[in-house]
Amino acid sequence: MKHFLNVLAAALLACSATSFAQNKPAEKPIINPAPTAKDWADIGKLPDWSGVWNPNISDQDKQHVTNPPPWNAKAAARIQFQQAELKAGRPTPLFVNCLPEGHPSWMMISHNALEILFTPGRVTMLGESDGGRLRRIYTDGRGHPLDPDPTFHGHSIGKWEGNVLVIDTIGVLPQSYIAPSEAHGIPNNGDMHTLERIWVEKDVMHVYMKITAPNVLTKPYETTRYYFRQRARKFDIVEGVCQEGYFAPRIDKDGYHVYEPQPHDVGGNRIPPK
Amino acid sequence: MNLSLRKIVLASLLTLGAYPVAAHHATTMFDHAKVVTINGVVKEVHWTNPHVGIYVDVASKDGGEAALWVIEMTSPGNLVRAGGWTRNAVKPGDKVVIDMAPLRDGKKGGALKKVTIADSGKVLTADIRAQERANLEQEAPAK
Repeated sequence: MKHFLNVLAAALLACSATSFAQNKPAEKPIINPAPTAKDWADIGKLPDWSGVWNPNISDQDKQHVTNPPPWNAKAAARIQFQQAELKAGRPTPLFVNCLPEGHPSWMMISHNALEILFTPGRVTMLGESDGGRLRRIYTDGRGHPLDPDPTFHGHSIGKWEGNVLVIDTIGVLPQSYIAPSEAHGIPNNGDMHTLERIWVEKDVMHVYMKITAPNVLTKPYETTRYYFRQRARKFDIVEGVCQEGYFAPRIDKDGYHVYEPQPHDVGGNRIPPK
Repeated sequence: MNLSLRKIVLASLLTLGAYPVAAHHATTMFDHAKVVTINGVVKEVHWTNPHVGIYVDVASKDGGEAALWVIEMTSPGNLVRAGGWTRNAVKPGDKVVIDMAPLRDGKKGGALKKVTIADSGKVLTADIRAQERANLEQEAPAK
């Protein structure tokens, strides 16, 4: 009898809890509002960032030497090893697996062009590599999620200060590199935060970055990278699927166009036939 | 010699990394202090990201063996911007003269510096660092 009463009490408690849960006011979902005509009109008041932007690669090369990140001792040792390997002709294969260069390396060392789109509440950066190089920067006034799922490019919120877009980014995957060159880089190892200020002067885009990565840097790393505006149509962004290079186009025995795996060496180059 | 080498020219480069090909990975597996020139016939062109590749048959010469070379370049988009390139600018069957920075390990590969198409005399390079100023071709007449 005692056991029966215990079961009955537990059942009543469960019913009560269920009833409470059902009566609890549902959390109101956040709805992204449809843009208004004014929202679109306001886009026209923003600075003109149209066109295609190609990077100043020579400056990237220069800053690798003149403005290296302030690595902690452990990271500096790895960078020294990578430098030795580079000089020996065995560059560290940081990006040959076709995973995205990610944030902040894309902005630091890309050799490929990008374009920037403005829509109400958002700035979108589209790049030409990795298969879908993309940053979404929310300018609708939202904050960061409390615990965002880490991604290659993180969670970015932006605001305009005059003609300067100020971007705050967290939530970058710890595996994402801070790479001063395509042969040197250290995973940010988590807890990275970046602040960017982007503006355009005389068709040159300035991307100031302050990278705080306490697990690999002794202090925030500050750098400005440069991109040149192009309007010639041949500069239009094209598809750039990185994995494509790991295959060779062939026609199979049935006459279908197919891809066959193409062997590459550890450095990412096609292996020459013997 | 198992290949047709016209010349090996030592070239000086001021800084590491100042190479014309790097697009997605470093290129120091190529010896940028050297230029190797081959004469051959294009076998295949892989117009693919992140690097275009050209396969070139080099016939035997002076008793050497024939060989198939692989020449790496930057991406299709970057090549188009470099000027003169399309996916058909170099085609299978074209007789070509190619200047490259050779692989350090001695294998039959290199990073393209210049290709000359024998029949037309057309010369194509792949120097993406030559584009580092704004509004390239802005002055060109509209097509």
